[in-house]
Amino acid sequence: MKFSEIWEAIVIALDSIKANKLRSFLASLGVVIGISFVIIMGWALAGLDKVLLDTINMIGSDMLYVDKWDWSGGQNWKLLQARKPITLEQANEFIKRVKTAEVAIPIAKRHRTLIKYENLNFEGISVQGSLSEYGLTPAGAILDGRFFSPSEDMYSANVVVFAYNAYYSVFPDGDGIGKTVKINGHKFYVIGVVKKQGTALLDFVDNQVFVPLSSFLGCFGKYRRSLSIGVKAGSPEMLDEVRTETIGIMRGIRGLEPWEELDFSVNETKTFEKSTDMFRLYVWGIGIGMTVLSFIVGIIGITNIMFVSVAERTKEIGIRKAIGAPKRSILFQFIIESAILCLIGSAFSFIGCSVLIYAVATFLPKAFPSISFLSPYIPLKLLYIASFVSIIVGILAGLIPAIRASNLDPVDSLRYE
Amino acid sequence: MAATNQNDFLIQFENISKVYQMGLELVHALRDITLSIRKNEYVSIMGPSGSGKSTLMNIIGCLDTPSTGKYFFKQYDVSDMSDNELADIRNKEIGFVFQTFNLLPRATALKNVELPLVYSGVNSSKRKEIAQQLLEGVGLGDRITHKPNELSGGQRQRVAVARALANNPSIILADEPTGNLDSKTGKEIMILFNKLWEKGNTIILVTHEEEIAHYSHRIIRLRDGLVESDEKNGNPIVPKISELEEIE
Repeated sequence: MKFSEIWEAIVIALDSIKANKLRSFLASLGVVIGISFVIIMGWALAGLDKVLLDTINMIGSDMLYVDKWDWSGGQNWKLLQARKPITLEQANEFIKRVKTAEVAIPIAKRHRTLIKYENLNFEGISVQGSLSEYGLTPAGAILDGRFFSPSEDMYSANVVVFAYNAYYSVFPDGDGIGKTVKINGHKFYVIGVVKKQGTALLDFVDNQVFVPLSSFLGCFGKYRRSLSIGVKAGSPEMLDEVRTETIGIMRGIRGLEPWEELDFSVNETKTFEKSTDMFRLYVWGIGIGMTVLSFIVGIIGITNIMFVSVAERTKEIGIRKAIGAPKRSILFQFIIESAILCLIGSAFSFIGCSVLIYAVATFLPKAFPSISFLSPYIPLKLLYIASFVSIIVGILAGLIPAIRASNLDPVDSLRYE
Repeated sequence: MAATNQNDFLIQFENISKVYQMGLELVHALRDITLSIRKNEYVSIMGPSGSGKSTLMNIIGCLDTPSTGKYFFKQYDVSDMSDNELADIRNKEIGFVFQTFNLLPRATALKNVELPLVYSGVNSSKRKEIAQQLLEGVGLGDRITHKPNELSGGQRQRVAVARALANNPSIILADEPTGNLDSKTGKEIMILFNKLWEKGNTIILVTHEEEIAHYSHRIIRLRDGLVESDEKNGNPIVPKISELEEIE
């Protein structure tokens, strides 16, 4: 193939599309929709990946949580409910025995606790009791003020650290530090605020308050209360070793015989990866179904319009052939036209999707803050994928009309009016 | 004179026949034609409609292949060539001029003349240069950016002649070149052909007009797919530019 022929084909294609703007636009609509699906799907998945990564970073990829409850949600809820609580004594015993972990902290939680400030009541905020070490984990990073100290742990000081959203719902002006609130009727002194760190997967983390564990137990009692134990492995590589030790120690503490199943769960961030994998599969399944469907419609539309184009230009094909255009040149001319048509379609859907995505990611989080993870920009690699896919679609759609054009008889086509 | 210098023959037909299937009927468009044309001849092919002259022209022009017989173009055996080889011969060796001009309507005069050069792989700047020269040669140097619908019939046919000359072909094959033109512009085109013949080009005219045929030096008459006569025209009309003023 000569370069002059290739260039000629591109010029003819652009001329022809320019001459039939509306028709070209309508014909490429199926492809535009198909490409839009690809882009929006890719964008949603990129957002999902970001949420997953943020969640893992917040929890810490080297963290294990020993708990009565299982995060994956895959197990029978009633079976979990029937498990014996993990008591404070068991937690303390575990912390004393564990060797491989960098640090282990007992954590107690109470959901939807009443918090009073002056004469206003706030419900729906969780209270977490833990130790001062919690302030050293990513989840306890301080925005303002300070986390509670080891001595405050020891002496059950009535001090409270707020998570970001909880802080701003109680103190809209952000002037809470130094104020006093009532948690479940007990007075607590506000000493700090933790950075905002919730993600769409875990948005409750911003809606809680932290108090020393001893104060928590004093406030809410420890009878039949199940604690969880946060175990920091130190690095993701240590995770397996720490997990094995954790399970071994806990079996001993819980008095499980070797043949008995675990009556506690060891949760970790991998659980989120599993649940997002499922979600990702759904997105792909639906997305690919829709995409394939619209590409089929798109290909039919383009093929149809290419047949029209070939018929309209029979005379031109005759002239070109008489003048010496070889078959491949005519074939290439129509395939190029079809591919460019699709490529322009994909450019349009790119522009359309950019606007749409920018608008959604900018305005929707104002109404639903939990989806603020959405990026207002399309990932660049989607540009390449979409362009590539559209060119392939164009080639497929143009193939049969182009073959027909290239096989036209020059004498007959010259006579065509 | 025959057989003395075989290499001088540009076109040699040996027992060429062409049969079409039209519905259930077989149409014998050409029956066993043998003829040859030398370099720098100026030949007319004449005949009433249905005589087979269009078929003959299509075969000479490598747009079509014979059903039986051999066709040698220069030293090539064209009768067995593939479509792409035929396209290459048409591109490099044959310059077509049609009754209906057959220019690309959306392309400028320059672009139309460039077209054969596109398919022979000449680069863009060289193409423009050649096309410009050719258009100047047919007196259209000031019309190169005009599209066909902005040109008169005579001008369009001159663009077509310029296009036919683009790859410096061995023959100019003109099918009723004056058929759509008034007599004055028809004469202009005939002057152009005469000039090309004087420069050494081989010209084959297909026409049914006696007057046009008499510009040529040899007249081949066809009837019912057979060569009825093949005669030398001892007294060809030599068109002069001065005659144009007379018509005006």
